[in-house]
Amino acid sequence: MSARRPRAAIRTAVALVLLALMLFPVYWMLNISLQPSGNTLSGTFFPTDPTLAGYRTALQDQGRNLVTSLLVASGTVVVTLLVSTPCAYALAQFRFRWISWALLALLISQMIPGIVIANALYTLYERLGVLNSVPGLIVANAANAIPFGILILRSFMLGVPPSIVEAARVDGAGPIRSLVSVVVPISRNALITVGLFAFLFAWSDFIFALTLTTKGTVVPVTLGIYTYLGAHVDNWSAVMATAVLACIPAVILLVVAQKYIAAGATGGAVK
Amino acid sequence: MTKTTSPASARSTGRRGEEITKILFVVPAAVAIVVLFGYPVVKNLVMSFQDYTLATFFTGEAPWVGLQNFATVVGDALFTKALVNTALFTAGSIAGQFAIGLALALFFHRNFPLNRVVRALFLLPWLMPLIVGSAAWRAVLEQDSGILNVTLERLGIIDSPVPWLASSDVALVSVILVNIWLGIPFNLTLLYSGLQDIPEELYEAAALDGATGWRSFRYITWPNLREVVGIVLMLGVIYTLKVIDIILGLTHGGPANATETIATQSYERSFVEFKFGQGAALSNILIVISLAFAILYLRATRRRIDE
Amino acid sequence: MKKRLATLAALVTLTPLTLAACGDDSPPANATVDSLTLLDYYSDEPTNSLVQALVDKCGTAIGTKINRTAVPGPSLIQKVLQQASSKTLPDVLMLDNPDIQQIAATGALAPLGDYGIKTDGYAEGPVSAATYKGKLYGLQPAANTIGIFYNKDVLTKAGVTPPTTWDELKSTAKKLTTGDQYGFAFNATADFEGAWQFLPPMWTNGGDETKLKDPQVAEALALWKDLVDSGVSSKSVVTWGQGDVNDQFIAGKAAMMLNGPWNIPAIDKAKVNFGVVSFPVNKAGQTSTAPLGGEAWTVPQTGNKAKMNKAAEFVKCMNSDENQMQRAKDGGLVPTKLALADKFKTEVPSMAGFVDAVAHARARTGKLGEKWPDTAKVIYTGMQLVLTGQAAPADAMAKAGA
Repeated sequence: MSARRPRAAIRTAVALVLLALMLFPVYWMLNISLQPSGNTLSGTFFPTDPTLAGYRTALQDQGRNLVTSLLVASGTVVVTLLVSTPCAYALAQFRFRWISWALLALLISQMIPGIVIANALYTLYERLGVLNSVPGLIVANAANAIPFGILILRSFMLGVPPSIVEAARVDGAGPIRSLVSVVVPISRNALITVGLFAFLFAWSDFIFALTLTTKGTVVPVTLGIYTYLGAHVDNWSAVMATAVLACIPAVILLVVAQKYIAAGATGGAVK
Repeated sequence: MTKTTSPASARSTGRRGEEITKILFVVPAAVAIVVLFGYPVVKNLVMSFQDYTLATFFTGEAPWVGLQNFATVVGDALFTKALVNTALFTAGSIAGQFAIGLALALFFHRNFPLNRVVRALFLLPWLMPLIVGSAAWRAVLEQDSGILNVTLERLGIIDSPVPWLASSDVALVSVILVNIWLGIPFNLTLLYSGLQDIPEELYEAAALDGATGWRSFRYITWPNLREVVGIVLMLGVIYTLKVIDIILGLTHGGPANATETIATQSYERSFVEFKFGQGAALSNILIVISLAFAILYLRATRRRIDE
Repeated sequence: MKKRLATLAALVTLTPLTLAACGDDSPPANATVDSLTLLDYYSDEPTNSLVQALVDKCGTAIGTKINRTAVPGPSLIQKVLQQASSKTLPDVLMLDNPDIQQIAATGALAPLGDYGIKTDGYAEGPVSAATYKGKLYGLQPAANTIGIFYNKDVLTKAGVTPPTTWDELKSTAKKLTTGDQYGFAFNATADFEGAWQFLPPMWTNGGDETKLKDPQVAEALALWKDLVDSGVSSKSVVTWGQGDVNDQFIAGKAAMMLNGPWNIPAIDKAKVNFGVVSFPVNKAGQTSTAPLGGEAWTVPQTGNKAKMNKAAEFVKCMNSDENQMQRAKDGGLVPTKLALADKFKTEVPSMAGFVDAVAHARARTGKLGEKWPDTAKVIYTGMQLVLTGQAAPADAMAKAGA
């Protein structure tokens, strides 16, 4: 229909305006990162005298930290999804008597302040000797994201019609098979969304990065920016440049992930 | 000696194996949660009944004081104000984040060019380290030269600069607005996914019956989205009650305690004044408030399942 | 594997923190020490590398390898507490001077007098900050404080001289407030930084942190209030940290500011022609008094006598004349040994304005010791009540809980 084309274009225009409003502080960060003075008082809307000095510093110092952050975040996604998915499915579809208690426990776990958890973890990790390790950070971030994952996935899985699963069971599939072959494909949207948030939680985590590392060997980028933030003096242009650089790989992953959150995942299965 | 297995017992061993498998679905998560959260929850609870100070870290001594910490924090002059601020902050943030998130999710529900990219970029605020975010917002909200006041004045919306963060009256509003901004990506992304899971056929069938626009939202979208809405609101409340970083980054709880919440008070008692017992008492009070909401949520979700 | 599970189980169930008896299985006091662990908060560049150089130098001098860890400033005490719980405190610990007495009060630090460390010839401030119940617990090589920076070109153009009294401060600032330039900028946030910046007017006027309801303190509050109400200072001072204040000064949005010497590199880079004076006095006969900044080296009680001896040697080395001068030059600080003052003035003329101020700088914990944080909270709350118009200077401190 010819009427739809301009309609879609208008939507895109509106979307871009909304995005601009939403991202204004992010733009401001970009603006400051290109300013020569590195002053938060840039005063100008556009960097009139852009300099890449902050970026050069950031790339030199933070390259390794970016890789560390990527490893930790990716590992967190994998572990979180592997552990949350079966549990969420069980809490959604199986008739356990203690489901409400399990849900309550999951919700309570989300009420604890992060710093309380980090302090307790420090003692545990110190005894086990896993401080300063990427797997250690992955486990901590994943364990933190798992209750969230379970709660969200469960909400989505409650929408999966039991008839589909019944059909699979009648065909002889056990619980694992039903999960993997039937429920997972249907829950694709939810899984990607949870994976996305697990990535974001781990990527922007500061408290575990700070607490669970004691030497400079494993430094996620959220900790790395403190190279530029002293007790008194702040090198904002380097901080902002690091933040901008850190965004880039994450944004790429996010755009790719969003591609897969498409409509109609459930629809096809019912037919 | 051969043992004949009757069909009934064969079925029951199969069923038991299945029961075990079902339990195994839950075990890894259960272990992770008990190990990670079990100790902190218990320790935090016990700490609120102890006189836990800086010295305790070095000597290990923390005398039991019963309910005294709770009495002290509740009796504190700032408690009522912090409680009110917490209520306002949470209500304001959730209302704003959810309404805007839902509106945006519905907006993005249609196909148009760059839909995917724009949606991904909406998550950018979550990629910024919070210290960068609060610095950026402090610059934007600056009374004299901040871009927000400059723009509003140019557009003629205000006559004189608004003291967004410098006035005790306005600061809480400013902090709520920034928190709404921070929460929009969370609501948008989850609600959008929820919308995508609603089968197209339902809309098509409803359209045939003449139900479009508001009616299709009310009779198709909303009922199918309720489970996701429930968890988004529930987690939103829990997470918002805990918020400290953005408040401390923007105002340090000021000016003159205008933006102190129970959460910021809890943090300050523990990590600035080193009165950990009192800080723990405050965080436990917060947990009790969260629990009240959690129980409401569980009742609602249980009723929906039983329907 | 089983051992790890057992440890896990023990930790997961409720285990009270018990002090493991420090058995006397530590090596004798004169055993050779291969390495020492060190913790500080100089995690930012260029300070990080400069301090590392000094640390390595002293490590070589005492014949021990130093394993140094640097964490971001605000998280140092957190780390110290975590390490205290797990009995993994470092052998050498840097502490910001106002924190020393609090930590010493817990019994975590060793008195430096036991290792023959003396403070003869040191400025009074660093010594009083590090002394708890008559014993010295930290030795501070270099110190800073805050003073009034002024933009020489702007003042010359306006035909005014830097203020020496409070009245002059107000009138000079008024003459300098034009366009979008404020006459004077300071930091008045609701944290320890804001309290720190209020100490110069409070102390110079004879106010005392143990008697916050006295009229001298109210007069200091009135000064802050007048500066904002008369428009020579922005209302945003309640949101500006010292870094933001410096940004304002450099950008030409403030002709004068109350700040510290760590900003000098940035000011020079922005090519601002600046001068420094001590904080003005209110009435004749008063002495300008500013708070003591800077960090000290301490020796935690680790139970290992040999390492503690070596750690004390390290602390002595970091405080040698040569190393004090180096640290001061590196960090925009002033050496704490009074004998070095003249030499330092000649070698670093840009810091001349601060050398005398540091010699008279007063420790925040000098009178209150571990009770300082509670008082600091009252101070910044009272200050903000006045600046936001919610209380008059006369009863603000009482309202804030004094």
